[in-house]
Order: sequence, then structure tokens, then C-alpha cells
Amino acid sequence: MDQKQLREFESHCIQEEHPYCTAACPIHVDVRGFMAFMAKGKLKDARKILDRSMPFPEILGRICDHPCEQACIRNQLDESLNIHGLEFHCVSNTSQVLKLPKLPGKGGKVLVFGSGLTAMTAALDLARKGRQSTIISSASELGGSILEIDDTILPLESRETAVQMLERYDVTITLNQKITPERITELTNDCDAVLFDLDTISLDILPADRIEADPISLHIGGKNFAGGGSLTGENFSPIKQVADGRRAALSIERFLQNASLTAQRTGEGATTTRLYTSLEGVAVLPQKTQKEQHLSPEEATEEAGRCIQCECMECVKQCQFLQAYKEYPKTLVRKIFNNESIVQGTRQANTMINSCSLCNQCTVICPNDFPVAEVCRTAREQLVQAKHMPPSAHEFALEDMAFSLSDTCSLLKHQPGTDSSQYLYFPGCQLSGSSPETVIRSYQFLCDHLDGNVGIMLSCCGIPAHWAGQPTQFEQVLTAFTDAVNSMGMPTVITACSSCLSIFKEFTDDISVTSLWEVLDSLENLPASTAELPSTMAVFDPCTAREQKLVRQSVRNLCSKIGIEIDEFPFNAELADCCGYGGLMQFANQNLGERTAKAKGERSPHPGLAYCAMCRDNLVSTGKPIAHLLDFLFPDPDVNSLLERPNPGFSGRHENRARLKQKISESLFQETDFTTAPHSAIELLIEPQVIELMNRRHILEEDVRKVIHHVNQNRSYFINPENNRRLAKYRPIRVTYWVEYSEEDSGYRIHNCYSHRMVLPEDQP
Amino acid sequence: MTTFSFAQDTPWKCAACDQPLIPRKMSITYLKSEFHVELMACPQCNMTLVEEDLAVGKMFEVEQLLEDK
Repeated sequence: MDQKQLREFESHCIQEEHPYCTAACPIHVDVRGFMAFMAKGKLKDARKILDRSMPFPEILGRICDHPCEQACIRNQLDESLNIHGLEFHCVSNTSQVLKLPKLPGKGGKVLVFGSGLTAMTAALDLARKGRQSTIISSASELGGSILEIDDTILPLESRETAVQMLERYDVTITLNQKITPERITELTNDCDAVLFDLDTISLDILPADRIEADPISLHIGGKNFAGGGSLTGENFSPIKQVADGRRAALSIERFLQNASLTAQRTGEGATTTRLYTSLEGVAVLPQKTQKEQHLSPEEATEEAGRCIQCECMECVKQCQFLQAYKEYPKTLVRKIFNNESIVQGTRQANTMINSCSLCNQCTVICPNDFPVAEVCRTAREQLVQAKHMPPSAHEFALEDMAFSLSDTCSLLKHQPGTDSSQYLYFPGCQLSGSSPETVIRSYQFLCDHLDGNVGIMLSCCGIPAHWAGQPTQFEQVLTAFTDAVNSMGMPTVITACSSCLSIFKEFTDDISVTSLWEVLDSLENLPASTAELPSTMAVFDPCTAREQKLVRQSVRNLCSKIGIEIDEFPFNAELADCCGYGGLMQFANQNLGERTAKAKGERSPHPGLAYCAMCRDNLVSTGKPIAHLLDFLFPDPDVNSLLERPNPGFSGRHENRARLKQKISESLFQETDFTTAPHSAIELLIEPQVIELMNRRHILEEDVRKVIHHVNQNRSYFINPENNRRLAKYRPIRVTYWVEYSEEDSGYRIHNCYSHRMVLPEDQP
Repeated sequence: MTTFSFAQDTPWKCAACDQPLIPRKMSITYLKSEFHVELMACPQCNMTLVEEDLAVGKMFEVEQLLEDK
């Protein structure tokens, strides 16, 4: 990712856009921050915010014509915040808290003609920037139009405070001057820039060679600028006058620096905002006080508490990953960019990059389709390419994929007794690992009911490699798949897994692919389910079916045909959560994977029905009663509680896949020649809590057998004479596995297992 | 060179050599980094013991740290 791409990505995220009030404010007062303090009764902190952005809080806080209130999003619900009343309350009960610095003098003499708010603001802003600024006016006091405002609203002291502030920043104030065109020419001869405040200076005494004021810079030719106001026929608006003063001051500063007067000034003044804020769940709560009424401290706190602190965060609200890392897409992409830029040092964001489920829920929610998944997945590819991908992140999952693709599990056959295929059933590695019996039953059903021969392919679609940022491995799997389908005479592939479907649709050409669900939905004779059905169930769409509307519809049709009543809930279908498997989240960040699965299950109180094997297994692990749709369509007569069938775990998955191949080969194709590894005969006795520990530590029963087999030959294990237990280790490739066990008559009892990646001296290659 | 010692009394004995374990200085490696440590090992065949606490504790932490380097 380069800087340009970073900016492009960042611009998609609107979380940092101005809230509506601030955007509408010509000087962008941080009203949201102000309200947060006011709601806590922290008037001094609130005042600090006004001091930072308002030139004269004592004045503007009392008389601002508050365009912010019109923009307040509460207007869509009840009525706007009483922003004006709260500012009035704040400035009436505090004095200046924050004193902005005065920069060292840097030359540049500026004359400001007039005495209104535009003149005062420009003079103050320029003095703060270190310019020598002088106000020259025919009036006897500063203020211009605001002098007409009633003393009960704008007391004399407020104006006096403003004058004191100007004096503190060394603004020279020269009042009671006769101002004529000749006098102006004379005075401006030896100054560098001039501003005319049109609140108190009439157009006819402005320089004769002036041009019409440029709306962005307020430049009227030469070294002259003009803005402000009411004498030009505009309605008197204090905030407009202040904003003009500020705009003119910035133009003069640019003029004195010989910089462009107009470049990159679109953010100044009242703007629109791209922020999106949802009002869902916000209570209707009208103002309790009259707009004109002065607020009591209690009323002020309560009124400020009506502010909903506008922000977007729509994606973060739903995503466990973004919540866990306390990021929104804009900050996330910046961290990823920084992570990529590190040459030497710790790449702090690696785990974060590998923890995204790549499920795209956020992108669908985002008003600007921020592609978080694509950013994270590309970052993984970059890590792999730079050889910086942490080995522990995905190795286990990729080895699992390699196992599914290996000869032990994979299979490619035409329908028994035939030598051609019109269809090719591809149940997917996870269904094979989770519920091999339903694979067999559903395959037989397809063979019996489809018009044409149905071949079968046990394999993996390669999505783990794609998620892991391993394009070469992914490509190899896809090529092998394409070659296999070719060798079968290009049958239509029927997948039982939404991930496989999405991969084949996106990454293969010329291969016709459909889902098992659409095929079953199109058949007349659905299997008659004997399973007992809960009255209402919640269909949990997998995240990979986000773009598979027809699949989702077919699943619902099937439910309806077998008499399952469905509870539809929000954040399902195209907004569905991931179960924690997506993007290999659960391998790179186990705890987050578990939280994600739990959050998905909690979306509906009803028993769940999944049609993705990983969703089913991950959700059932969190305690959610959930079945796979195939469990109902092709129930196992030996299983009573379809909703509680346990997650087989990683070892169980391996074994299921290997047995599935064996069973299909034996029962359907009468093949019996299977070679087994020498260690596979070792009988293990493992209590459930140890199995759970092994799953968490990504240690397979296969690994345990290898360790015991390895050390049995030469007694190269440790022994504890107190209890006769053994402790043995073996490092097949990259991980050293340790097993604490004891020998019993019926096999080896496993007490504990752990592993490490560090290499001991005797294991050095 | 600093050597970190993780040697501590242990009931485990080397089964093949029938020897109690003793502390032994050695280098262990991961991802091109080398660490000098003291672990319990068999005085005869040098087989090294890594107990659970070390493997899932300090060792795991260092592995994670090195993976992000």
C-alpha cells in the first residue's frame, strides 16, 4: 500500500467527518465535545472548547445566530439541542480558561478599517499569528452592529473583555478617526495589507480600483480585502461576521506569505458533512425549557445530555474484531500501512491483520463500502511475500487444508457403476469433517433423484490459503480442482458449502457450479425427515452466503417444505456475522474467534439451524443449540439430539475425513486397499478435558500418536518415578509436541499435551 | 552473554539412561534468533526437558515476539 492508496482507503471512512452541528458552524466550533462536558457539568472544560475556536466567546457565546441548531440531527427525532442556550449558560458562568498563544512578531503591517465583529476577529487572528495589526475606526467604541443589542443579552462587560483581549495581543485600536478615501490612501501607503469591515465601512469609500470580492479569499484587488457585512445589504449575522473576519485574516496571512489565496480552502466556513449517524434506538426527548429562557445549572446539564454525540461507527457496532481492537476502518488502515512500513522493529499490527474474519459485513454496512476485508487480506499477502507472516498464525489451518487434499481424505469418482458424470457432488472439507454420515446420505439421495450421473469429489476449495494470503498455494488448489472437473467431463459442480461456492464462482472460469440447497429445492421428492423439530428455529446464514441470495432463499424454501418455522432476525442474510472461522480468525486469535461465534449465536434466542458446517460446529461450541440443515433432511437414526451434536474438534475432523473416504471407497466402490501409518495403530485414552485442551492448543491425536511411536523404539522419554508417568517429545517438522502419558492395558492414557516452536539443541536440523 | 536459567528441581528422570536431570547451559533457537538458557537435561544423553509452564509461558511469549520482528 502506498500513501496514495492509503488516502484513498481513508477517504471511504466517514467516522472522523464533522458532526452536523460543527459542519454547519462557519467557524467549526466542536459542539459535540462542548456538549459532552456540559452534560457532565464541567463548564470550565466546555469553556476551553469555546476559547479554542471562538475569537470572543463572551460576545459570540451570547449572540451567535446558531445555524448549528438547524443542522442538529435531533431535529429529525424531536427538536434540536438548545446549543445557543447552553453556550450562553457557559460563557455567563465562566471566564476565559484557555489563552491561545501569540506567535513571535514576524513583520507584516495590517490595517483594519472598521469596528464590527469582522474587524475585531481579523485583527485578533492576525495579531495571534504575529502580525502587527491596527484597527482604525470612526466609531467611539468597538462593536458595530452588535452595539444595538440589548444590554440584558450582551452586557457592556462582554465588549470590554473583548477589547482587553485585543489589547493583550497588542492590537492597536485607534477610534474616533475621520475616514475618507484620501485619508485611507494616506494611511495605507506604508502598510502591507488592508481589510475593510463592511459592517461599519460603506462601499463608496473603498479604493476606486477595487474588484468584486472573491468569495473564497474576500480579496478586492491589490493588497485590499473586504468582508463582513450588513452595509452590503446582507442580514446581520454575528457568526457570519466572525467567519468573514477569520477568512479575511487567513487570506491576508497567505497574501503576506505570497501563497495562493484560494488553494485548498474548501473546508472553511459552513460546509456539508459526509457523516452518517443512525437514530435507531435514540429516545424521543424534547427540550424541557423555552429557547429564550436562561438555563439553570440543572437544566443545562439535562439539556446537554440530549446530545447523542453524533458519530458513524455503524460497522464497529456489529463487528467483534473492530471492537476488540478499538479501531474504525480509517484508523485500522493507517495502522496496517504503518505496519507495512516497518523495516526493523516490531510489527505491532500483525495479529490484528490476521484477526479479521474477512467476512465483508462491515463493507455492506458502510455507507461508503469501506473494503476492510480486502485491505486485511492484501496486507496478509504482503506479509507472506515479505516473509514476515508469523508462522503460528495460519500454519495449523494450512496443514489441515493439506490433510484434506491429501490422499488420505481426497477422492474423485464417477457414480458407482458409471463412467461419466453430469454432476459432481463437492460436499467440502468441513462438512466431511463435521458430519461424514450426512455426506454419504446426501450423496446417495442425489444419485437416486438427479436426472444424470452424479460423481463425487472429496477435497478442499483452497479458501484457507486464500485467507492466509498464500496466492501460490491457493492457485495450486484451484488448478487441481479445475483439472479434476475437466477430467470428469465438465459436470455441474454441486457444493454443500457456501465458501466453496463463492470461491469457485469467483476464481474459476467455464465451470458450472450450484449449491446443494438450490438442487434439493428444485427436487419434487424431498427426503421425509423423521427428526423431531423445534417449533421455531433461527436460520443462521453463513458470512460466505452474503452474496448468495438464491442459496439463502432455497434454504428457507427447504425449511418451509419440511415444516420448520423460521425466526428471521436482524444482522443475518446479507448482513450475517461470521462464526469465527472466516479469514482463519479463530487460528490467529482464538479468544476473538470464540467471542465472535458467541455473538453470532446470541442474535436470536431460538434454536439455530445452520447450513455451513463450520457455523454449526463453532456455534454449538459456545453452548448454542444448533443443527445443520442436512441433520434434519438426512437424520442419523442413531443420533437423538441433533441440536447438541458436539463439535468434533480438530482431531475428530481429521478422523472423520479419513473415515469418510475409506467408507465411501469400501461401500460404494469396493476398494479396500488402504495403507495406514505405523503410528495409527496406537490406542489412545483421552478424557474430554484433555481433548478440549488439545483443541485449544492445536494438537491432534495424530501428533500424540507420532510422539509415542517415536519414543517407544528407544525409551527416549522422561519418567516420573513417583507416579510412573512418562513425558515425551517429538518434532515432526516445525513444532515440538510434548505428551505426558502412562501406559495401560488398553492403550496409552494421555494426561497432558503442550507444544513449542523453539528448537532445542538436539532437534536442530 | 546473558544466560537465563529456567533450571529447577524436577521429579522427571531420563528413562533410557536412568539418570536424574541436571541444569545444563545451551542455545535454543527460533526464526534466526539464538538464546542462551539453562534448562534441565540428562547428564548422559543430553535430552532436554521443557515443562509445560515454560512452553506455554515464557517460551510462547518470546516466540510471539520474534514472529512480529
